[in-house]
Amino acid sequence: MAKALSRPRRTQVVGDTPMELSVNGRPYKLYLDARVTLLDALRDHMGLTGTKKGCDQGACGACTVHVNGRRVLSCLTLAAQCDDQEVTTIEGLAGAEGPHPLQESFVRHDGFQCGFCTPGQIMSAVALIQEGRAGSDDDVREYMSGNLCRCGAYANIVAAIREVASADGASAGRTSADGASAGSASAARAPRGGTDASL
Amino acid sequence: MSLVEAPPAIGAGIDRVDGARKTAGAAAYPSDFDVHGQAHAALLQSTVAAGRITAIDTAEAEAAPGVLTVITHRNTPRLPDGPATDIGTSPPAPLQDERILHHGQHVAVVVAETREQAVAATRLIKVTYDASEPVTRFDDPRAERVDDPWGMDSERGAVEEALASADVKVSATYTTPDNTNNPLGLFATLAVWDRNTLTVHDTTQWPTMARATLAKVFDVPESAVRVLAPYVGGAFGSGLRVWQHVILTVLAARMTGRPVKLVLTRPQMFTSVGHRPSGVQHITIGAKRSGELVAIDHRSTSSVAMEDDDFEPLAASSAVAYACPSVITRDGQVRLNISNPTSMRAPAEGQGNFALESAFDELAHTLGIDPLELRLRNYAERHPVSGMPWSSKALRECYEAGAERFGWSRRDPAPRSMRDGDELIGYGMAGVGYPWYAVPCRARATVNADGSAFVRSAATDIGTGTYTVMTQVSADVLGIALDRVRFDLGDSDMPPSPQAGGSGLTGALATAVRDACLGVVRRVLDLVSEDAGSPLRGCALEDVIVGNGRIHRRDRPDEGESYADILTRHGRQEMTVDGASAPGDPSALGMAFAGAFGAKFVEVRVDADLGVIRVARVVSAIDGGRILNEKTARSQIIGGTVGGIGQALFEETVTDARTGRIANATFGDYLIPVNADVADLDVLFVGEPDRATPLGTKGVGEIGLVGVAAAIANAVHHATGIRIRSLPITLDELL
Repeated sequence: MAKALSRPRRTQVVGDTPMELSVNGRPYKLYLDARVTLLDALRDHMGLTGTKKGCDQGACGACTVHVNGRRVLSCLTLAAQCDDQEVTTIEGLAGAEGPHPLQESFVRHDGFQCGFCTPGQIMSAVALIQEGRAGSDDDVREYMSGNLCRCGAYANIVAAIREVASADGASAGRTSADGASAGSASAARAPRGGTDASL
Repeated sequence: MSLVEAPPAIGAGIDRVDGARKTAGAAAYPSDFDVHGQAHAALLQSTVAAGRITAIDTAEAEAAPGVLTVITHRNTPRLPDGPATDIGTSPPAPLQDERILHHGQHVAVVVAETREQAVAATRLIKVTYDASEPVTRFDDPRAERVDDPWGMDSERGAVEEALASADVKVSATYTTPDNTNNPLGLFATLAVWDRNTLTVHDTTQWPTMARATLAKVFDVPESAVRVLAPYVGGAFGSGLRVWQHVILTVLAARMTGRPVKLVLTRPQMFTSVGHRPSGVQHITIGAKRSGELVAIDHRSTSSVAMEDDDFEPLAASSAVAYACPSVITRDGQVRLNISNPTSMRAPAEGQGNFALESAFDELAHTLGIDPLELRLRNYAERHPVSGMPWSSKALRECYEAGAERFGWSRRDPAPRSMRDGDELIGYGMAGVGYPWYAVPCRARATVNADGSAFVRSAATDIGTGTYTVMTQVSADVLGIALDRVRFDLGDSDMPPSPQAGGSGLTGALATAVRDACLGVVRRVLDLVSEDAGSPLRGCALEDVIVGNGRIHRRDRPDEGESYADILTRHGRQEMTVDGASAPGDPSALGMAFAGAFGAKFVEVRVDADLGVIRVARVVSAIDGGRILNEKTARSQIIGGTVGGIGQALFEETVTDARTGRIANATFGDYLIPVNADVADLDVLFVGEPDRATPLGTKGVGEIGLVGVAAAIANAVHHATGIRIRSLPITLDELL
């Protein structure tokens, strides 16, 4: 389903594969190498550096963005896969009325320290609440385990998400993780859940 | 002296001043900077751990699309090493000869128009090695041993005799593996030469040192070099040195005449920017039946690279941990074909405390004395070496308040005695004393004619909250509202600052900021000294208080003037004053300078059948002196605690002994705690402002990590009856 993306905000030509992406509601027309990841396209070709590269291997979650409302790891997603898709990054989260409630609650609860993983944490958290997976502290811990934080702000991240989820009420439908033993040490060794590797 | 009116900003748990920027994705980290016309560099690293390069063929790489140049040891100019600092030498200059000293050593740099072209071209370089068998094990007879590298070995009393006469003795060996700092932010450097002026965006904890290093290596004046690091994506010690990749990026920019950007890959982060070195520690503790210590003998060996240095005196702190008449500490290193270790959050203390506090638990168990009680019976009321009173020490309160909060009294001392269904429950604890560290620092304060303030220093905020707490200190000392004060950092053009490291920055910087701000008040009072109409005429600093952007008379608080009125009347656009701080002299003050103290209480749950270990809760009771911001200080403690959980249960950089190659250099294979590994973390701050510094602070950036590993190991013993003396503790050891 192609959208009419008239008047691209910026045209970038560094390859021969054409793609039109809507990023944070703005159209971009790009000609890139077909192998360019969504992460590199955002950072290197659209000037959107809020999305971070922490590993480039799909293991840290710092590059989490939304494609058509679903959270994806942009380092494992090709930009060309997002042709005609709606991409939302941390820069597009705030509305006209101000920051997203999660952006504010992360500040209030000190849900970060160095801040490098924060855009990915927040993008995951927004999706988590929309998915109805933020109904308990254990759920949040489990479903946020694909986003690493080396500063160790996890407890505050959980508090920030739970505050918004509780106010939101959207997550009331689900109260426990899908059979996962939240909080178990084995969680670190299991595939880190929650974020799709690709579309 | 305090000039401030209530309510002070200092101490309040205010939100981070950079919070909105970080949560909006608007904080620019070193990898986020780009400049027009920049080229990209990519590194090629050695695939052998020892030997020499016999041939290196770069022709194909040089002919590849977009490639500007290929730099190897053959075309790298002779470069001097950077200057040594008070925390050690600079890494050896890169690409100076054909020798290979570790796997992952940089052997070539490709500079190309795009990152992809540079990376692709590295694969076209053909390197031929004459490889030799690497030294990778402590027990390799070829391994060179370095005794007492830092001159910190200590001895008091008569350890041998005391141990011979002890009622009870415990003696054990503890091992800790290589850990890798692994900040989330990939280290990045962007170097821009403009004639002989150099601007560098770099992942560093220490712009002032980076400037001095680059100036020396590239033979330009320090005034020609500017290093910028407004935001750093974590570092945990790995940003304390100017590593070889930084030198190579600056060199590449000079050789190509283009701005050059280099971002390390995650695997390269394991070999290029340091790590916590593996260590072996032998401890013997002797005690009387009453629990009174008679002797401690603590000896350590850590790994270090072939031709570099690292500060890791694992045993040194055992000399001052307890009141004990006879103590010997010995620290040494062995040289291996490894990439060089460096400080990683709580260097030396993180490993040394694991051994000492595990051994203490073993002693308590042997004596049949409660582990907490045993620590209280050997409490060091005064500094055990100098005999001087501490500048502050509330470790007893840490023990008491922490135990109360945790419910330590519910602990049944017998191992395997507490159970909840399939889970064995274990309670463990550890005591911590973090070393005092202070270094000179400078800061600059400006009050503008509109009454706003701008304060700065070339420090970094690696996530600790420096932006925020220094804004608070500035606001209080000047008496200007928080939202009218901006504190800036991360720029070597600002007054020189020490590193964000050693838990020493907050004390040094806050004192310098205070000095600069007091200087502004003093100079503003000088301005009105001749003003006939000013109520402040003739007032000295001690005669005034500040608040609401005004200076008031202390004796008549309703009489005063605003900064804005005074500066405007005198035709001044601003008043700027520099401030400084320097470490005090303990003997002159008659005090032993204290770092932070803490007590850690941990509950673990171990699956009785599967051995799965889970940390259910951690209580950290911390004496951090005066806490400048309850919110960010708590974050430091919980963050350190998570690092300690990683050290205890997950983290191990695995090096293949035969090849010297790191076998798990990714985030998929090198495990760090994830959200689901971290449960209930409770933090209590106890104690009083430290007496040795004007603001009474003690650094809290590292103490949160220390003690976690021992407390977990002790809790695992309590849960299972199995004593694990080697980190990380994994479930296979409990089956």
